[in-house]
Amino acid sequence: MKSAINIKNITKTYPGVLANSDVSINVYSGHIHAIVGENGAGKSTLMKMLYGMVKPDSGSIEIFENKANISSPKEAINLGIGMVHQHFMLAKNLTVLENIILGIDKPFLKNIKLAKYRSEIQKVMNLYSLNIDLDQYVDELSVGEKQRVEIIKVLYRGAKILILDEPTAVLVPQEVDELFKNLRDLKDNGVTVLFISHKLDEVLEIADEISVMRSGQMIDTVLNSNVSKIQLAEMMIGKSLPVPPPRATSTSEVAILKVENLKSQDEDGRNIFTDISFEVNKSEILGIAGVEGNGQKEVVEAIIGIQSIDSGKITFMDQDIKNKGTRERLESGISFIPEDRQLQAMIMDMNLTNNVIIGRQNIEKYKSNLGTMKTKNAVKESEKVISAFEVKTPGTSTLATALSGGNQQKFVVGRELEDDPSLLIASQPTRGIDIGAQALIWEKLRKSRDEGLSVLLISADLEELIGLSDRIIVFYQGKLVKELDAKNVTPEDLGGYMTGLKK
Amino acid sequence: MKMRFRLVSLSAPIIALTISFGLSSLILLIIGKDPYETFKIMFEYGIRGKSIVSIINRSIPLYISAIAVAVGFKMGLFNIGVEGQYLMGSLIAAYIGAQFSVITPLHILFIIIVAVTTSSLWAAIAGYLKVEKGIHEVISTIMLNYIGTGLIAYSLTTIFDEPNSNYDLPRTKELPESGKMPPLNTLFNIEDLQDLHGFLVVAVLVGIFYYWLVWKTTLGFDLRITGSNPIAAKFSGINPNKLVVIAMITSGGFAGLVGLGPLLGYFHRYTIDFPTGLGFAGIGVALLGRNHPFGMAVGALLFAFLQRSAQILDLNDVPKEIEQMMQAFILLIVVVFYEVIRRFIVKQQIKDASKRTDE
Amino acid sequence: MTRMKSKWLILFMVFSLFLVACGGGSDDAVEDVAVEEPAETLDAPATTAAPAEPEEDPMGICLVLDIGGLGDLSFNDLAYAGYEKAVADFGMKGTFLEPEGGGENRGELLELCAEAGNDLIIGNGFLFDASMNEVAPNYPDLNFAITDGVAEPGNVRGMLFNHAEGSFLAGVAAALKTKTNNVGFLGGVDFPLIHEFEQGFLAGVAAINPDIVVQIGYASVAPDFSGFNDTVKGKEIALAQYEAGADIIYHAAGGTGTGMFQAAKEVSESTGSKVWGIGVDFDQYYQVGNALPELQEYILSSMVKAVDVSIYNAAKQTMEGTFTGGANVDNLATGGIYLSYSGGYIDDIKDQIDSYKEKIMSGEIVPPSARP
Repeated sequence: MKSAINIKNITKTYPGVLANSDVSINVYSGHIHAIVGENGAGKSTLMKMLYGMVKPDSGSIEIFENKANISSPKEAINLGIGMVHQHFMLAKNLTVLENIILGIDKPFLKNIKLAKYRSEIQKVMNLYSLNIDLDQYVDELSVGEKQRVEIIKVLYRGAKILILDEPTAVLVPQEVDELFKNLRDLKDNGVTVLFISHKLDEVLEIADEISVMRSGQMIDTVLNSNVSKIQLAEMMIGKSLPVPPPRATSTSEVAILKVENLKSQDEDGRNIFTDISFEVNKSEILGIAGVEGNGQKEVVEAIIGIQSIDSGKITFMDQDIKNKGTRERLESGISFIPEDRQLQAMIMDMNLTNNVIIGRQNIEKYKSNLGTMKTKNAVKESEKVISAFEVKTPGTSTLATALSGGNQQKFVVGRELEDDPSLLIASQPTRGIDIGAQALIWEKLRKSRDEGLSVLLISADLEELIGLSDRIIVFYQGKLVKELDAKNVTPEDLGGYMTGLKK
Repeated sequence: MKMRFRLVSLSAPIIALTISFGLSSLILLIIGKDPYETFKIMFEYGIRGKSIVSIINRSIPLYISAIAVAVGFKMGLFNIGVEGQYLMGSLIAAYIGAQFSVITPLHILFIIIVAVTTSSLWAAIAGYLKVEKGIHEVISTIMLNYIGTGLIAYSLTTIFDEPNSNYDLPRTKELPESGKMPPLNTLFNIEDLQDLHGFLVVAVLVGIFYYWLVWKTTLGFDLRITGSNPIAAKFSGINPNKLVVIAMITSGGFAGLVGLGPLLGYFHRYTIDFPTGLGFAGIGVALLGRNHPFGMAVGALLFAFLQRSAQILDLNDVPKEIEQMMQAFILLIVVVFYEVIRRFIVKQQIKDASKRTDE
Repeated sequence: MTRMKSKWLILFMVFSLFLVACGGGSDDAVEDVAVEEPAETLDAPATTAAPAEPEEDPMGICLVLDIGGLGDLSFNDLAYAGYEKAVADFGMKGTFLEPEGGGENRGELLELCAEAGNDLIIGNGFLFDASMNEVAPNYPDLNFAITDGVAEPGNVRGMLFNHAEGSFLAGVAAALKTKTNNVGFLGGVDFPLIHEFEQGFLAGVAAINPDIVVQIGYASVAPDFSGFNDTVKGKEIALAQYEAGADIIYHAAGGTGTGMFQAAKEVSESTGSKVWGIGVDFDQYYQVGNALPELQEYILSSMVKAVDVSIYNAAKQTMEGTFTGGANVDNLATGGIYLSYSGGYIDDIKDQIDSYKEKIMSGEIVPPSARP
């Protein structure tokens, strides 16, 4: 079989860090090849070298059995390598067509050649059975569609090898299915796909071959048919999967948070959410399921006072908090883990000591009567969080941006939990982080729940949702459509309610 | 480790200074002047006693103006209106201050309070417009500068005007002796030189207060986190609207002090000759000093030095515009190098962090 | 990403604003346009004054210009012309400086001149009064002079001009020449100094025919002094006045006046009936005519205020050791103020003008210099 990519003995060191150590991998042409590994295992470095963004120290790369010296993404594209990044690089206010030709042509020639581009792109789309309305604005597309635009963009530039970096992280199950169908079509047409992920189920579903990386080394490359999920996971983390301990305590019947008939409309008078009523009891994890954009995010933001509401009641610990500001709500015992740690939870260019007091900068622990900050307490607190949540960092004065995603998330979760809240709202608490960090966060959440904490959990990871929650409520089109007992629900059931197929 | 990064940060202005001297030399060579001689003349003139006093006097309003701008910058707010704010504050303070006489410390304190109040109220308008009407502060403060200039022109020729023999040039009544800030010359034993403005003391205090406010208080913390990540700031419970108004008022309050150095130390009245443009110059100094109280002090002194020492150039047949070019070069280059250095430090920290992870 | 970009965009905007603010002070791009014709206004025998024989250490003259600097085709250029001629004729060592925005700098520049050992130091403009009071006493051996103003120290000469007298004659000329019985006055900045021109002009017009309409316009109001250097505004106001029936406009607006001459040309060409402008300070028939020859034929006359002569004379007296301080008023009688006949457009009414000139010089008529 012909080889598409043959990487031989590549080593890449950053000062003090061995990012890739003697890594070799052979990807066959026309295969879907997955690379799995925890965050920091060296997957990204390897991909960056393949895409010409980083230069290896030693070793060689062959593309389609020719020795290649890839020194820039431009050269990678010329060699037929295309990359779809995890964060899309699309201009929202341009159409799909304009986005695809962006960067190929000078804008002022656009009108002349538009028809030519359109037919060429249409040809590519037909060839690979990828469908999208070329005249739609990217703004109006779903996440899955945006991803498809990225794929078409790369293929139109002549890619024969497609690198997908964590492509399913942002997708709902139905969109994942659609993506996988597309990938299979690509494969049938001879495109080689390199698929980077840490979701083992998906990898096992789509890949022909799977390579596992750990700590900068290539552990093994195996055929899909010869490996089980457990085996893969063990190769990845080098130890057995943590088994969730059985629930030690039972849910109390005391409602900590009570939401009644919440309703909010946007400027055009359309409902963002309506008729939302639920309770979170003491020592309970209430999961919220919903495809992105169905109102669940806004409801949660309404609870902490960022999203305005038109009517309804929010009662926390027997107090009506509807008219209180965000700060008062947080200080009264609600902790919040926002879904995007870098954008919403941390200040990336500040150090950990500063980051630990964000959200609580005005409480007595951190603020003197004079209005000055009690820095010593912040240092102590950050040290506490770092040790309790095993955050890997040189110290408390390191900038948040210097930490890996998993460590950032551990720090945020630690910050919120160490505060002894009565209610924790956790939005996507383990999105995009490695298994080790995920396991730790799960364990901490369970433990706190058992000790009496109430948790409102939103997650797109249905296994996480089912595994952690006591009860699950499902949002669909701005309404609460179903309440389920987490003990006897499957991801497939949940997916049905989330997409409105099941009622 | 922190020390190491500080030293690295310091290299940016030094590199910028070196390059801009280089570029200016090049231009001097092109127009047929000897760069070495030119800079030598500038330097020798710039370090004379009188020059040093003049440089310090010039740097006082520049520095305070930079601080006024920096307070806004710290939370991502662009107060371009320091110009109008300080002129308004100076006019009102000069007028009211000239109406009575009490003991000097009280009188000066009163003038300061009037100026600060006026300027912060004027700035608060921009804050209000942003919060209530969603008008970007860059637009509103620029417009308020124009409105302020008009109001000053009108009121200076009517209600605040003191009739005088010099073509009845619009001006307020002179401050009584008690409202004049005594110079610091005796303190430094330089009685033979021109007045060293007493407002220097206030400028130093303002610098210390600014540092305390921004880096030591939770209000300052709120400003800083809003500046680097407004979304996270909102999620942390900060009411962004309230903070915008507070920041605008604080910035305007500092702006109120900008004109007081020249007012209390030299002019003793508001005249058509009253220095303008300090509000805009402060933006440059804030950029150069990276909003840091010490950095801005160095920046203000540097610009004041360049301005003063450039005066000698015309006497030596070198166009003094070379000084403006140098200022522009320095700013342009320093902005670039700050970004380069920032990235470098982040990279270093990431390396340090992954080194730790590796162990 | 977009946030990042807009941050830089704003930064850039701010930065450009800053540069504009910095650079705003000195738009002296048009340098030596104006210095061509100084001889016209200088007394002929000037060159005969015995210059000190060239020695190793020549006398120094230092001119500190007002804001606006060289190239304003007006006040500063005029002063520069006198200065330049003095340097040429007497072999003086000349230095000229331009101040920045703030007033403190004026004093510093005067001081700079004094420290450099200049024998005569001129502050060109009434704004120099405070700085003169401050600096001159420290250098009692040096000579100082201030244009349009007075200062207390004994070694400062206040070079004053009776603008009303000359403006009266300009009013007479305009009243005699108008065919529409409608004339205009374009002031630079609305404040008492320019009121002297305005009042003199009004009185002159009324002396011939009280029924003539005089339209009055100003380019700016003090403390906004942009009106001395705003050609666009000058053109706008002049166009409006011509449109409202004026056929002659007298300006006392410095560089702004150039716009008035442009308007005169435009209106004359578009309507076919000729309208005129009367210049000020310089004999603008030559001065504007040199820079912009196409405007020359619209310059009826000029009310010449010979700042150049005053400066030249101060230099001469400094050379001779006869310089004295104190106020020195130039008027029609001293010849420091006069109406120009360049171009010959008002030669026909010279007799009438001369008779008014006589009456003023004899004190029979005292043109008002302040608004009632």
